[in-house]
Amino acid sequence: MLPTLGAWSRWGRPVVRRVLEFVGLLAGISTVLFFLLHLTGDPAVVLAGEFATPETVERISARYGFDDPLLVQYLRFVASIFVLDFGESVASGAPALGLVLDRLGPTMLLAVLGVALNMAVSVPLGAWLGSRPDAVPQRLGNTAVFVSQGIPGYVVGLLLIQLFSVQLGILPSVGMSTWWHWVLPSVTLASFLAPKLVRVLSANVTEAMREDYVRTAQAAGAGRLTMLWRHALPNAVLGAAALAGTQLAFMLSGSLITEVIFAWPGLGRLLIDSVVRLDFPVVQAAVFVIAVLVFAANAVTDVLFQVIDPRLRRQQA
Amino acid sequence: MSVLERRRIRLVPQGSMLLWLGFAGALVMVIVVVLGPLLQTHDPYEQLLTNRLLAPGEEGHLLGTDQLGRDLYSRTIEGFRWSLGIGFVATMIAAVLGTLVGIAAAMREGVLRTVLTRLVDMTIAFPYLVIAVAIIAVIGRGFFALSLTLGLVSWPIFARVVYAEALGLMEREYILAAQLLGVGAWRTLFTHLLPGLRPSLMVMWAFMFADLLIAESALSFLGLGAPLAAPSWGNMLSDSREYLATAWWMLLAPAIAIVVAVVTANLIGDGVAAESRRRAAQART
Repeated sequence: MLPTLGAWSRWGRPVVRRVLEFVGLLAGISTVLFFLLHLTGDPAVVLAGEFATPETVERISARYGFDDPLLVQYLRFVASIFVLDFGESVASGAPALGLVLDRLGPTMLLAVLGVALNMAVSVPLGAWLGSRPDAVPQRLGNTAVFVSQGIPGYVVGLLLIQLFSVQLGILPSVGMSTWWHWVLPSVTLASFLAPKLVRVLSANVTEAMREDYVRTAQAAGAGRLTMLWRHALPNAVLGAAALAGTQLAFMLSGSLITEVIFAWPGLGRLLIDSVVRLDFPVVQAAVFVIAVLVFAANAVTDVLFQVIDPRLRRQQA
Repeated sequence: MSVLERRRIRLVPQGSMLLWLGFAGALVMVIVVVLGPLLQTHDPYEQLLTNRLLAPGEEGHLLGTDQLGRDLYSRTIEGFRWSLGIGFVATMIAAVLGTLVGIAAAMREGVLRTVLTRLVDMTIAFPYLVIAVAIIAVIGRGFFALSLTLGLVSWPIFARVVYAEALGLMEREYILAAQLLGVGAWRTLFTHLLPGLRPSLMVMWAFMFADLLIAESALSFLGLGAPLAAPSWGNMLSDSREYLATAWWMLLAPAIAIVVAVVTANLIGDGVAAESRRRAAQART
């Protein structure tokens, strides 16, 4: 069948828009990265590190072409990013992009575990808190969640290590070699995310319980639990899913810190280590990979929403 | 029930009580920041290795000492200046930048709007801690470096809210009427648009302040925030990491200070939001 105009506006235009956005994102990121490095003055000095000899600085200057005009350097840098060449790590000499990609797996694992745990805790908790917002236990719960919003996730991590690794000695706190090593980091990462999700969910559930379709169900004889799980909660979850984009950014920030605390060999820890060592090629490659990840994840969630929520499809048509 | 009683009950609903609690907390924090050194019992920077890791109450140290013998109570008080100061300046930068971009996009249709909204859409999804870490790697640690960095990476959140709000306001009758009467764009901006945006700006400001406070402490915790000797709460928490088993009190004061400051800001944000919703509902009836 020939593609019709309808198919174009439904699938073609969004795809073209995404591709254009992606090119814009790459150009933007590479510009920021380029000027960051040149902001300091002589990038060769930065790349060579604190204790480099003048000869090393000169060699690096020649290797990266830092003596050329700035515009030439900029264009060359953008071109090299489009062919995924970030240069070699100053610390180890290995290709920067390879180092970064090696760390992708552990970060993804931590992200999946953290998000799964977050959902498993936040959805029931949010539903319970939102179902009867004026009852005493729920009020206390809401207050506790409100206060817990102020507790930085890394403090939770420190307390978990103190309790389960130091005092009780039942869970390991460093590395990721066995399943037991996965517990504390996932809990820590989930604690970055949970308070916000619980609050949004409970507010949404409260609102949904007052909607006509839920009250109709009640009038038709549906029990309280059926109303909550079958009618109010699905819509509350869908409403909260609008948060997904910012939650993802927030989660990556959280995993940055979690990985450092638990010596988790992921992307975040590599980024921090490289920043401390001023290993710029690796920093650039890491920021670039994170940007691509975020972009891809957002594109995928957008499409998923259209599949899950029929209202969105109708809106766009 | 008499008329008077009914009015009194309506005057103090629960939401605004929480708002007043938030304002009270903010006032206390401002006082601590202003008085600063007057409230301290010791020099927050003075090291005395013979007094390391004293427990709370020992040798006149109210909250004990850290691994270098510095007084934790005085450091926490000095931390109000560092942490709240950085949070304040950073939020100010984000608010000014975000409001400018949001209003510019809302008032001028065409290329400018397309470019600005696309820019915000793309940057808002990016984890700002990652960019902040990369910027700090280059420009270094310090009060203003950190404030500037946090402000520069967080303005898109402001811009998005201001843009959406301003777009809605531009369609309201009183602004249309002003435009039809020939009131210029600048005058519309200052006499009609900005006052209309005030409630949302206050709410955003409070939430952003809370977020950046945590971001600041996180960066300091990673060793990429305030200068290493500075008593910012994140630095103090970072110091406490290795002494958790022996000197748990090192974690206590800065952690509580952060939680209280963030909760205070959230109370104000929630309270102002509820209050403006209530007023909008009242205006409709």
